[in-house]
This record gives sequence, C-alpha cells and structure tokens, in this order.
Amino acid sequence: MSELPPHAAVLLLAWGTLVALDLVSVPQAMIARPVVAGAVAGWIAGDLDAGLRVGVLFELFALDVLPAGAVRYPDYGPATVVAAVLAANAPWQYAVGISAALGLVLAILGGLTLQLVRRANARAIQQRAAALAAGEGGAIRRLQYGGLLRDALRGTALTALGLAAAWAISEYSRLERATALGLTLVAVGCALSAAIGGALRSAGRGARLRWLGAGLVVGLVLAVLA
Amino acid sequence: MNGGWRAFLRLFAVQGTWNYERMLGVGMGYAAEPLLDDLKSIDPVRHTEAVVRSAEFFNCNPNLAGLALGATVRAEYEAVPGAQIARLRTALCSPLGSLGDQLFWAGLIPAMVGLALAAIALGARWWAVLGFLVLYNLARGFTGIWALRTGYDSGMKVGAAIARSWIPAAIERVGPAAGFAVGVAVPLVAAWYLRDIGAAGALGTLAVAVTGVLVSRWYGAALTAVRFALVAILLLVLFRGIFP
Repeated sequence: MSELPPHAAVLLLAWGTLVALDLVSVPQAMIARPVVAGAVAGWIAGDLDAGLRVGVLFELFALDVLPAGAVRYPDYGPATVVAAVLAANAPWQYAVGISAALGLVLAILGGLTLQLVRRANARAIQQRAAALAAGEGGAIRRLQYGGLLRDALRGTALTALGLAAAWAISEYSRLERATALGLTLVAVGCALSAAIGGALRSAGRGARLRWLGAGLVVGLVLAVLA
Repeated sequence: MNGGWRAFLRLFAVQGTWNYERMLGVGMGYAAEPLLDDLKSIDPVRHTEAVVRSAEFFNCNPNLAGLALGATVRAEYEAVPGAQIARLRTALCSPLGSLGDQLFWAGLIPAMVGLALAAIALGARWWAVLGFLVLYNLARGFTGIWALRTGYDSGMKVGAAIARSWIPAAIERVGPAAGFAVGVAVPLVAAWYLRDIGAAGALGTLAVAVTGVLVSRWYGAALTAVRFALVAILLLVLFRGIFP
C-alpha cells in the first residue's frame, strides 16, 4: 500500500459505501461483486492489476455463497475494496496473502454489521407501527430512507475502519518474503477450494454436475494452451 | 399503469428496509406508492387499506418482486377483497423466491461471474468487468420491466402467467450454463495465479485447495470457506513463527 492522496482516500470511502449499499439495499447492480469492487478500488489506488488479483480471489470465495432467503453471509464488498488498496503498488505474490487475511476478517465483520442494520430496521418499524397501520405513506418513505441511511453508514464505517487497519498493517507489519508468499498461496488455495466447494454444492448430482465437469475439462485445456 | 416507471425505479431499493419481521414488506410498500396514487381519488378508504396491505410482510427474490407488486396493485384497483389480496401475497412468496434464486443467484450470476473470471485470466482485464456489469444489468432491467408489466396485466391470475412464461425454461438452461462457466473459470484462474510461482508452490496451493474441499464437505456448514481460510492462514503464520 503506497501513500494515498486525500482525494483517493475520499473516493475509496465513497466507493466502499456504494459497494456496501449494493449488496442488499440498493441497487443490487452487482458492483458489490468482489471482481468489480476490487477492480475499481485498485484503479483508484493506482494499481488496476492488484485490484483484479484481489477481486478475483474474493470472487472465488463469494462463489461459495448462495444468498437465498434470509441466509447470513459475509460482506465481501468493502472487504475487497480495502484488500485491493493494501495490495496496491506492491508485487502481488507478496501482497495478496496479507490483504486476503485482512479482507476475510472485514468480510465477517461486514456480515455481522448487516445483522445489526436489519435489527435496527425492525426496531424502526416497530416504533412506526401505528403510522403503518394507519396507511401513512410518509411513514413508509421515512422508514425506507432510514434503512438506506443506516446501510450507507455501515458501509462508510466498515470501509474507514478497514482503510485504517490497512494503513496500520502497511506501516507496522514486516513480513519476510517467504511468509508473505506462503500467505498468498494459502489464500489462493482456500479461494479455489471455496469456488469448487460452492460449485459442487450447487451442481448436486444432475445435469449441472456433468456440465461442471465438462467446464473443468475445457478450462484445463485452455489453461494449458494459454 | 400510471406511476409504472417510478415503481420500477423504486423496486431497485425494495430491500432498503430489509429486516427479519416484515422482510421486503416496507420496500414493497415504498414501490407500490406511485402505482396506488390514482386509487386515492377513486376510493380514499380503499387507498388507505391498500397502502397498509402493501407494506405488510413479504419476501421473495428482489428481481421478481415486480410480479407480486403489479398483481396486487391490479387487484386493489379491481376491488378484490383485501383478505384475498393478502392470501395472494403470501402465496407468491415461496415461488417467486425459489424461481428468482434459481434464475439469478444459482444461475445467471455464477454463469456471468464464471465467464468474467475466465476472461480476466485470459487477459481481458477491464473489458471482462464492464461486460459482466452491462450484460447482468441488461438482463436484470429486462426482467424487472417484464415482471412489473406481467404482474399488472395478470392481476389475480399471475400464477398462471408465471407458469406460462419464459422463466421455467430459462432456469432449466441457466443452471447447467453456470456449472460450465464456473468449471471453465477455476482451472484458468488457478493457472493465472500459479503460472510463475514454481512447481512446489503450485502443488502446495493445490493441496490446500483439495484439503479445503474435503474438509468443507466433511464438516458442512460448521466450517465455512472463510473460517477454513482464516484457520489455514493462522496455522501458516504460527508455523513460520516457530520455524522461521
């Protein structure tokens, strides 16, 4: 992580907030997908390639998640933004592992804060129960804007905390190269296992499993040829 | 359908007040508001009742919420009894949740993400990211408009309209496509990371990956991918600390 100019830090904070909002609240345009969040964060931090390396890594983790119904899951968006910044402007082989470690902790924290926002939404609805029962459109609008504001604040706080942690790590942690490389390889291995595990779970035993197998063969051939 | 575009835009924030009590309920009420505006002048009492109903408990996949919204609003204008509209909302929760999750979360998104990851590994960089965003949002926008319009046109017969629609056939096709795309992406991404690492590093990484798959299948939901990764990272740091 190189020194961030103030405008880049502000842009990253704004991007982290948008990405956090996109996960559930609005607009679910998939900018919260790690591959998008990481690429843009890396570009803002001046290193698109680092953003892509980190974004792809977290995207593999995210492929393990099926956010159906009321399931609880990590929030990889702001986590990827912060991890991409920490990995920027350094050789990726040594930077991605420590960035992934920070990002995974932030992703868990992000998932927990999402629960807090949901509980706060429920409390706000209970407080306006009488207005809702009376059919007041203004109460619905206020609840909606309040919910969006809470989620935006969550994203801003999460990104700010993550950026502060990334700065502290880059200032004070001195990993030797072998350990840094080992961390990267372990993170890549774990990410691959998450994607394969998620794909196997989704595939079940039907036609999709056969298509998954066919895809793996095609991917292997392309990887050898590329 | 007056207020259709405003309702369509508001549906993008249908999960803005997501909670464990009403789930999407308040978001649905927010999206219904512009559609119900005309009812105020026709029958103010009915309008108030409709607003109350619109914000009650509801849950489904957000991309198909327009079907329920359009159908219930149409029913309100047709003066269908309130209890019947409430039953329709309840009845739509599970099918719209299941169909939407299969179409988007288990189908379209992994399929497009898989293609994007494969393209990045093959050198597409920004183009892969942009392509993913544009294609996904076109598909989602089309689905959102179709859902709202179909729901409004069908009213109480929305169930039959869904069964006749393109959605069941699309789910049949998109699931295998997702499996194939993710299958193509995994070896390409692995090669992208490990190409210049050396044989020992690559073998070690693949060993971690295989261990992760086996362990997560053995322990199930108790050991998520993130937990396994954090444990593996911690073990490596401890190992390097003891044997530098």
